[in-house]
Amino acid sequence: MKEKNDSLASAGKARLLMLILIGSFALFSIFLISLAFGPVKMSLSEVWGAIVNIIVNGPQTGYERIIYYLRMPRVLGTFLIGMGLSVAGAVFQAIIRNPLVDPYITGVSSGAGFGATIAITTTVAFTATQSLYIIPIGAFIGGLLSFGLTFMIAEGSGGRAINYVLGGVIVGMGFGALTTLFMMLSDDRVHQILFFLFGSFTGINWNNLWIIAVPILIMSLVVLLYARELNVILLGEEQAKQLGINVRRFNIFMLVLASLLTAFCVAFVGIIGFVGLIVPHAARMVVGGDHRLLLPGSMVLGALLMSVADLIAKLAYVPVELPVGAIMTLIGVPFFAYLLMRRGKEYAA
Amino acid sequence: MPHENGSMISSKELNLYYEDYHALRDMFFEAEPGEMIGLIGPNGCGKSTLLRAINGLLKPSSGVMYVDGKDINKLNLSEIAKTCSNVPTEFPPDFNLNVIEVVMMGRYPHRKGLWWETDDDESIARDALSKFEITHLADRNINRLSSGERQRTLIAKAYVQEPRVMLIDEPTSHLDMRFKLEVMEYIRDLMRKEEDMTVVVASHDINLMVKYCDRIILVKEGHIVGIGTPDEIVTEKNIADVYGVDCSIFRDSSGEVIVHPRCSLKFKS
Repeated sequence: MKEKNDSLASAGKARLLMLILIGSFALFSIFLISLAFGPVKMSLSEVWGAIVNIIVNGPQTGYERIIYYLRMPRVLGTFLIGMGLSVAGAVFQAIIRNPLVDPYITGVSSGAGFGATIAITTTVAFTATQSLYIIPIGAFIGGLLSFGLTFMIAEGSGGRAINYVLGGVIVGMGFGALTTLFMMLSDDRVHQILFFLFGSFTGINWNNLWIIAVPILIMSLVVLLYARELNVILLGEEQAKQLGINVRRFNIFMLVLASLLTAFCVAFVGIIGFVGLIVPHAARMVVGGDHRLLLPGSMVLGALLMSVADLIAKLAYVPVELPVGAIMTLIGVPFFAYLLMRRGKEYAA
Repeated sequence: MPHENGSMISSKELNLYYEDYHALRDMFFEAEPGEMIGLIGPNGCGKSTLLRAINGLLKPSSGVMYVDGKDINKLNLSEIAKTCSNVPTEFPPDFNLNVIEVVMMGRYPHRKGLWWETDDDESIARDALSKFEITHLADRNINRLSSGERQRTLIAKAYVQEPRVMLIDEPTSHLDMRFKLEVMEYIRDLMRKEEDMTVVVASHDINLMVKYCDRIILVKEGHIVGIGTPDEIVTEKNIADVYGVDCSIFRDSSGEVIVHPRCSLKFKS
């Protein structure tokens, strides 16, 4: 039982500090584990020694190279993208006032999938290195295009949060159908397309990690600044307006921000589902609905879940790497079904 | 402290159109500080529209609405939030928010820091919890409250906003007899303590409005049929005219007015 005189703000700060401490410890542990495990196994003490060497002398031995060039950017990538998708999911859930929506609700994933498909099927003329960037750029543009269409449809039909959901569903279906057609017409590259649609961290290296790290971190921090507004918005658009928030402007800002964040997240690793849906949910159960705790909680949990899923994807069926999106979905489906059956009635908004 | 002009709410020649539908017609009325005004009228007569015109959520097509001496439509959202508060009718789906978090949202217009509430906010919210006797529920998920407790939470949220005018739309529609009375008693009690706050309540429960309100505004098809004390406004003739219902009005042994609807005039032979 909490003491009744404990002020909310100080209790909140204490819980946030606790969250950051536990979160950092957990993330650091999974970081070391991810560096140690892979097709080439190392002990944690070897990893530790290797890290020290890398910091002092740069990567020298084969092990150190594996750790520094392959595993380190990859695990950091899982942290970043797990965090970004979870933040985006939490934002969409608050703005649309439905705790069962995910970051792909505005059609970004379908658009990105289509963009990547176009890039894959038309990149005959590019060299291998060029196509490493052509696909992410295609995905990014596709994602934004898709959101742009959703935006136009939603604003044209009244601009309320529900219009974004409906618009996103329609646009998503359209791009999904186009992707299917392109896949049928280019069967020699279907495998590559599926690879994107299922999601994978194999392509992450230091060069592309930086490209996504900066925008994902900045946008996540911006969202944090609006934690109180996201709380108030839960009371409904009219209430939020009555409490002094320009709801239309705020909603548009947040929807654009979260969609952009999502587009950066999917560009290099493809479409990884469920993390953005489950994580804010689970975090809400642990730290409560106040976004000042919920957002940091989602960040930590999202990074953890994504890195664990990627570890499983990497190790479950060596030497074949399983698609991380499928692993994540396998974790997610039972959880989601449980939520629906247990609490579905309460979600009817 | 009453305002210089006297009135807390003052509406002059207020007209409001939804596209070509004339929702509010030439509304003239004033409400004094410390008054509790009951807004009654049939479904779709414009009660909720009028509430939204008072707090500036809807802009009038012509005419003016002064609240606390200021033209509400010339204030920005944040200034309005410090002048008027309203008790929400809809309720958020389950986001695992607890009672104190919801009440604290009422402090949003008065925010000082970027992230956390101040100790002042804290003591105002705690005070509201005890006023509405929901302190023991502070950590409870709002979706696990009874209807009466939930209504008190939402009124507490509107109260910590420290408004000059509190607008309440259908506060008792889902409540049983006892909770209806209790919610109205809490509101009345609140007004005794905040002597110059004005409360406007829209409701279909005429008996409750007659019992608790200082004055009643009777609205029909967007215009005001009458403003006055409950005795003046709630008459058999007015109810027949406005609601199309044949009713009898009588007093019980303690002198309280009871409106008893007998039948719809439509079915009266």
